[in-house]
Parts: sequence; structure tokens; C-alpha cells
Amino acid sequence: MATVSLRGVNKSFGRHKVIKDISLDVEEGEFVVLIGPSGCGKSTLLRMIAGLETITTGELLIDGKRMNDVPPRERGISMVFQSYALYPHMTSEKNMSFSLRIAGVSEKERTQKVQHAADILGLSSYLERLPRQLSGGQRQRVAMGRAIVREPSVFLFDEPLSNLDAKLRVKMRAELKELHQKLKTTTIYVTHDQVEAMTLADRIVVLRDGVIEQMGAPLDLYDAPANAFVGTFLGSPSMNLFDGEIRQGEPDAVYLPDGQHFTLSQRSEHRGQVQVGIRPENLKLVAQPDPNTITAEVVVVEPTGSITEIVLRKGERDFTITSSERLNLRAGETVSLVADANAIKVFKPDDRILLNESA
Amino acid sequence: MNARLQSAGLLRHAVLVTFAAIVLFPFLWIVMAAFKTQIDLLMGRVFFQPNLTGFVDVIFDKTSDFGRNFMNSMIVGVGSTVLVLVVATLAAFSLYRLQWPGWVLHSLLGWSVIFHMVPPITLAGAWYTMMRSVGLDNTYTGLILAHATLNLPMALWMMGVFIRDVPKELVEAAQIDGANVPNILWNVVLPIVRPGIAATSILTFVFSWNEFPVALVLTQRQTATVPLGIGKYAQENTIAFTEMAAASTLSIVPALILLVFAQKLIVRGLVSGAVK
Repeated sequence: MATVSLRGVNKSFGRHKVIKDISLDVEEGEFVVLIGPSGCGKSTLLRMIAGLETITTGELLIDGKRMNDVPPRERGISMVFQSYALYPHMTSEKNMSFSLRIAGVSEKERTQKVQHAADILGLSSYLERLPRQLSGGQRQRVAMGRAIVREPSVFLFDEPLSNLDAKLRVKMRAELKELHQKLKTTTIYVTHDQVEAMTLADRIVVLRDGVIEQMGAPLDLYDAPANAFVGTFLGSPSMNLFDGEIRQGEPDAVYLPDGQHFTLSQRSEHRGQVQVGIRPENLKLVAQPDPNTITAEVVVVEPTGSITEIVLRKGERDFTITSSERLNLRAGETVSLVADANAIKVFKPDDRILLNESA
Repeated sequence: MNARLQSAGLLRHAVLVTFAAIVLFPFLWIVMAAFKTQIDLLMGRVFFQPNLTGFVDVIFDKTSDFGRNFMNSMIVGVGSTVLVLVVATLAAFSLYRLQWPGWVLHSLLGWSVIFHMVPPITLAGAWYTMMRSVGLDNTYTGLILAHATLNLPMALWMMGVFIRDVPKELVEAAQIDGANVPNILWNVVLPIVRPGIAATSILTFVFSWNEFPVALVLTQRQTATVPLGIGKYAQENTIAFTEMAAASTLSIVPALILLVFAQKLIVRGLVSGAVK
């Protein structure tokens, strides 16, 4: 176990800057998830920690020691790749013990360590198989086993579940979490899947264009996004955004273009154009329209069993609400909705800043 | 409709058979000639009594050098192939996996293509002078070096393709697993590109085996290779056609054996590469 610190880290490929002045402290035993849309620099950042990419400027410390110029093998890290990167000509056992063989560990100790990892991962009966004779999930486990046997002080995961089908992904996600609870190794995990991030992380770091937009505990980020980007990135279905206006003399309401409004729980200091963010579960259908409700047209009703997702249209904007009730709605019908005033987020139109944090 | 499909199929097969005949006919003609007597051959007889005098002359006649030619070709072929493979594999790995600036990669590969386009005969004279001055004319070493030089560009390109196809993540995973560069090459890259090594070896060997002009300039009787041995049956006054055909037929054998073995290796390589 170790701490990982990034101090003002930058990365450029030629003139193109992909990581811009990132500072981050990962505590001992912490599970940190780096998340962001593709091209945001999350994988590059992970590869810089691994030593597969150089650090243009700034410092990387592992356990307080500067690691910028230390080769990957001496950083005390293990990495699981998206493609698993199993050696195709080696059996599972050989794949897992490769690092130990290179380090000159005795055969007895090697067998012991591989067996231990295989027990944890349920791989004991597949040790003699080649990667091509294994299923996707088994390959994934071998890749994790290869990372475990080295007993690293930091685990690095680069989208390890994205090549699995949906069902297996959920299963492996739970196994990963259990593994972390068992081993308590410091982990940095890259994904673009917000569900993975929410379920696995002690702390989520949201990246966009090489910059940290926000970091914090999953639910803190969910409840109090720093800006509309973080708000819409986390949560599924994602947060609904409406363009509106806070008028002079009415600081506790946001007016939509058609004159209907959302009521805020506190007064806003801002006047003029804003964006309103409301999560699907915070918009409720009501039977009777009144001055505090908005109206919308039903576009699609998607029952998933436990909840029903309803896609609605207001003006030219589609948005989604969820309901745990079984609803009898038809497409084209007009419904009335009320928003939970405490859960409304107001953002500046350029989406950068949260104006009033009402949690 | 059915009839049209059938006639299309027929046409396709006719084309294929024609091409096969064009490719196979000279080969068949040589093999048949090897079993004819000189008289049958010169009379152009299609039906004939097969006999082995051509082979007997080539293999057992006291004046025949063919056994020695065969041996020389083996030594030069194997020697130059091993040399080419070692250099090409190391060079390809370095070029594609050790993060050279782009211009190094491209200028080296570009130069090797240009070199490959130069007809060997234009180099032969210069090489003769060079080899003589260092005492390597009429030696295996001299011809091995020359053949290695001729075949290196092609081998470099081929090994480059195979090594480039080894997923980068495998090299990175090995780096993280603690492997240094020789370790990565030996334990990870080489086992994966084995089929590529086999294919490249065979081509290199066959090219060396068949090479005529440079071998002609750099060798004398003791070190002459198979193509020279075959060529020697065409003298100023007589051409020993049956012996020539018999020697040619025999010279195909090593390549044939290699291909049979290699096919297995290459097919196995394709199958294992298909799985992610």
C-alpha cells in the first residue's frame, strides 16, 4: 500500500497539451476512479503514473518518492489493461508468474503465490490453459491475477471491464470491489462508465480536456456537481438541463422561454440567463396543473420493471423523468410536473459555475 | 438461371486451370526432361521410356561437382539466413518498438527498398574487388555476407510487419512486469512472431539458394553453389540437357521440404493470431 501524489503534472504530445496542471493526492488504500469522456486524458494520466508515458512537467510521487524518471518495473505498480494484454503463448499460470520468474523468485514461492491468487480469483482449474482457451471473464481474472501476484503497492486499471458483456461486467465489478476490500491496495481506476465510477470509487475524479473538473465522494458529486458537465456526466438517466432566466425582482424563480417557471428554495444572487439542472427522479408528475407546475408532452414511455423512464418534450427540448409507480401514459399526452425545489441546480449558461448550491 | 450459374462456374474453373497449366507446365517439362534420354529430348518425344541416366550422371559421375554444389548451397543458404534473421529481427524490433523518431524509421526502411531495387549484378563487380582485397573471395564467408546483404531489406520489411503486429500492450505489460528489453524480446515478442520468422527464413533461404550472378562472381569451383552447378551443364559446344534437367529437379527438393514444414507452422501461426 502506498500514497500517490501528482503535483502540477502536465503532458504534451508535440504542441498538443493533453494534461493540464493536474494535482491529486491518493491516500493509502484508497480507490480512486478517473472518469471523463473519451479524449479527456484519463488514460494518459494513468499511463504516466505507470511510467508508460513520460511526464512533461510536474512531479509524480509514490509513497513520497519522486518517480518521474523511474522505470515502470521499479515503481511498485501493477496494471490491468483494457485488452488484458495476456501473453498469448503462455498458460494462465505462466502469465501470472512471469513477473516473478523475471525477478528470480524461487519456483516454490512462485507456485505458492500463483496458487494464492488463483484461489482468490477462482482460477485454480484454469491454470494450464492458454488465453485463447479462456472466456472473456476468465481472461479478465487472469489479468487481475497477474497484477495481484506481484503484490504491488498500487493497482492501476485502464477500463478493465469495457470488453465484457453487460451481465459479466456487473459481476466482475462486484468481484473487483470485493477484491479491493480484501487486499486494501491503493487503486487508481480509469473508466468512462459512470455506473462503474459510482459503485467502485471511494473518490471520483472527473476530467475534461485534461483538467480536473471536480473530485469527491461519489454521492457528494452526484448531489452537488460543481458545474453542468459534472452534473450531466454522473447519473443515469442523466441530469436534465433547461435554459431559463432569473428575472429582476423575482430571485427565487427561473422562468422558461414559454413563461412557466421552476421555484427555487432560496434566492439567487444572479440575474439573467441561466441553466437549470434537475435530476430525473426530482421531477414528479402531478394530477392538477397549478402556477408552480410545468407542462410537457409525453414522447416515449420505457418501463424497465422496477422503475419507468418517461421521455418528455418541452418546447424543442427532450428530457427524462423516472417514476417507481406503474403509469398509464400515452405518447402525445400532455402532463404536469413539479420539481423538488431543494434539488434544483442553477448553473451559469457557460456551464462552468454552480450558482446556488441547494442540497 | 441455374444454367447461367453453371456456365459461370465452368468459365471460372477454365480460367483457373489455364493459369495452373501456365505455372506448372515448365516445371513439369523439366521434371519430364530429367527422365528422358538426350535423344528423346531432342526428338521432342512426348511418350518415352523413363530412365535415370541423367540423375545417375549428376549424382554419381566422378566428374560431377553437384554433391559439392549442393553442400555449398546448404552452407551458404543456412549461414546467410541465420545472419539475416538475427539482424532483421533485432533491427525491426528496435525500429518499431524502441521509440525512434519517425525520420529514422522511414529513412532506413526507404533506403532498404531502394537498395532492394538495385540489380545484384551491378554490385557483384564491386563486391568482388572488396572481397578480394580482404581475402574473402572464393570463401563461404564472402558469399554468406553478400547474400545476407541482398536479402536483408526484404527480411527487414517482413519482420517489421510481424513485429508491428504484436500488440503494444503486450510489450507494456511486460515492462510493468519487470522485463528489460532483451527479456521482452526473448520471452514475449519472439515466441509470438515465430510464424513470421519461419516465413521470412524460408524466403531468405530460397532466394539465397537460387541466387546466380553474385555467386558466379564470388566463387570458384570449390565454393560454387547449385545454380552455378546447373549452369555448368551448358558448355560452349554441347548442352547436357538431361543432366541439367535432373540437377534442376534435385535442386527443388530442399525448398519443397521446407515449404511442407513451414506450411504447418504458418497456418498454426495464423490461427493463434486470430484469437485476441
